[in-house]
Amino acid sequence: MITRRSFFPFSVRLIVPLALALLVVLVYPLVFSFWVSLHDYSLTALEDIRFVGLKNYIELGSNPSFWNALRNTLVFVFGAVFLETMLGFSLALLLHRPGHRFTNVFRSILLTPMFITPIAVGLMFRFLLNQQLGVLPYLLGKLGIQIDFFGSGQALFSLILIDVWQWTPFMLLLFLAGLESLPAAPFEAARVDGASWGFTLRKVTLPLMKPVILVALIIRGLDAFKVFEYVYAITRGGPGDSTETILYYIYKVAFRFFRMGEAAAMAYVLILITMVLVIILYRLMTPKEEA
Amino acid sequence: MKHHRRFILLLALSLLLALVVSACTGAQPTAAPKPAESQAKPTEAPAKAEKVTLNVIMEEVPDYDIVVALTKKFKADNPDIDVVFDAMPYDAMRDKILTSFLAPKATYDIIIVDNPWMDEFGNAGYLTPLDDYIAKTDGYDYDDFVGPLRDIGEVNGKIYGAPYYNYALGLIVRQDIFDDKGLSAPATVDDYVKTVQSLTTDDFYGAAMQPQRGYKIFEEWKNWLYGKGGDLMDDQGNVIINNDAALKALQLYIDTYNTAAPPNSLNWGFDEALRAMASGQAATMLSYNWMLPTLNKPDGPAGDLAGKFQLYEVPGGKAVLGAWHWAIPKNSQNADAAWKYISWLTSPSVDKERVIMGGAPIRTSVLQDKEVWEKGFGEQYYTTVLKILEDAEPLATGDHAEEVIDVVGAELNAAVAGQKEPKQALDDAAKQVEEIMNR
Repeated sequence: MITRRSFFPFSVRLIVPLALALLVVLVYPLVFSFWVSLHDYSLTALEDIRFVGLKNYIELGSNPSFWNALRNTLVFVFGAVFLETMLGFSLALLLHRPGHRFTNVFRSILLTPMFITPIAVGLMFRFLLNQQLGVLPYLLGKLGIQIDFFGSGQALFSLILIDVWQWTPFMLLLFLAGLESLPAAPFEAARVDGASWGFTLRKVTLPLMKPVILVALIIRGLDAFKVFEYVYAITRGGPGDSTETILYYIYKVAFRFFRMGEAAAMAYVLILITMVLVIILYRLMTPKEEA
Repeated sequence: MKHHRRFILLLALSLLLALVVSACTGAQPTAAPKPAESQAKPTEAPAKAEKVTLNVIMEEVPDYDIVVALTKKFKADNPDIDVVFDAMPYDAMRDKILTSFLAPKATYDIIIVDNPWMDEFGNAGYLTPLDDYIAKTDGYDYDDFVGPLRDIGEVNGKIYGAPYYNYALGLIVRQDIFDDKGLSAPATVDDYVKTVQSLTTDDFYGAAMQPQRGYKIFEEWKNWLYGKGGDLMDDQGNVIINNDAALKALQLYIDTYNTAAPPNSLNWGFDEALRAMASGQAATMLSYNWMLPTLNKPDGPAGDLAGKFQLYEVPGGKAVLGAWHWAIPKNSQNADAAWKYISWLTSPSVDKERVIMGGAPIRTSVLQDKEVWEKGFGEQYYTTVLKILEDAEPLATGDHAEEVIDVVGAELNAAVAGQKEPKQALDDAAKQVEEIMNR
């Protein structure tokens, strides 16, 4: 009890090392990149770094490539996360069979895609979906179906499907853990009351699962915002600029064109947009009486 | 539920911070990955006359293996110099090289520079001028390097790069099919279009094209542009990529893609086109001249088709030239030893050995050497390569070449995809190139 009255309580002192570490690895890069975003900062002209104020931010407003990349990213994030949530939840319901003999086998198989590095997944699908060399177009061709997976109009959707293939297992994992930790009592009560499967799902399972779903959406959503590898390995942003995503665009401006000031400004705008989205999502998912 | 809410909020915020940091690391030059420490150790100045270690960044390509094999001899003859290679894929190189430039002590004593980077690095003052070194090196015969390759290594009248290997484009054809049909190599772009269209059937294609967005499509299409008399810029530096010649070249390119290239090959690059040729699905491709020996190799990717491929100049004659050059960073502390190695490797005698081993040629004397013809891939191949090199120009030059290539490549790809009218795409490309040039 004495420690509580001291200037730095014990609990605060415990946090200090971590806080210092965070200061070094988080705050310094953040402050530095913000400083960079206010300058005309090119890596090939380091002797000519000029303060330009908010110019880099203002110019983003009239940069069609940036907004196009942002739009593509949002379509990708919403499409991929929506499908992953639906599929992941359905699979979790199917696999939620406590005591079943093969549960662990099925889980292991279904989780496999998650363990492959995304760049390898990108390369794999680049050839798997290739019209001349790929297995899938060949098999579809046998059925009389011709799809140009990386053609104009379909390419972004193909990338979404690749993401769904790889990351649905992650959603499944979270949802399954959530389902298994739900209290048994409400389900027993529902059964006693004669509630149907669908009714129980809507009125008991989903409300109880809301916090887990929220966490899953936020984790996956933030991760999907960072999509880079599939674009890099397969389309390089094409056809035209239909699959150029925001991180790929930032990478290009920063590391291929070396215009760090603009890239930093874009990164900050991206942070702002992501933050707004997270807050909206959080508000939507929080029960109204507590909000 | 209150606890739940706090926990979720905390989790959400920490995840957000993680995203922020990963998005922002792009904004700090120090964040670029470090070179593989097992291979490349930081350069240290020799305290006494001790052994010097030269760290060399390389791209993982067949030419790299040849350099490694040759270097054993250099090491044996120069026990005081060790050469350590750090080989990696192309995409990892540019930021590693730049990180090395910015470091107080260079990570790399020798770098290889791709042609779009040469003006940018030279003008930024990151490279050591080689003029004095070349003048002092007996028997180096700098003028023996093919002219357009020399031009790439020279920035504002100073030499910053010694040629390493070329990747000029040529036309590779299935000679057996051309012979069967009584066809000769097309001399003009219009001939080429007619030829490949006539060779296309339901399951065989006249041209394996590479319309992938960015570098690839621009690299391929610019040969068509030259063929129709166009260029990126005129002699006064005006952007002319949207003139009539360019429009005609793009319309023909799109028409050929739609009528003679494998369907749905809009994102094809070098790998896919090569596979299509090697697997007997296509009759021609515009590709690097040294792909011919690869395709004709008996145990190579083409299997039974090996030996049936032939190389010609691109239709219209003038080709896109790519080249890698050796360069010494300004902050290298072993510049003298670095030049000793570079001048040895690119000297007429060692270069001849390199080309016989399969390296891409850079010297006129080597290309005309009868011993090279006999031990290498035959007279026709080397004389064709010399013709290609003598009439070739880089894709883009100047401080912003990398960006120019990217924006033009995106517009061209959009036109082939049907997202934009060819004229509109070229106008948009011209506008962006002008903006980049005026930056």
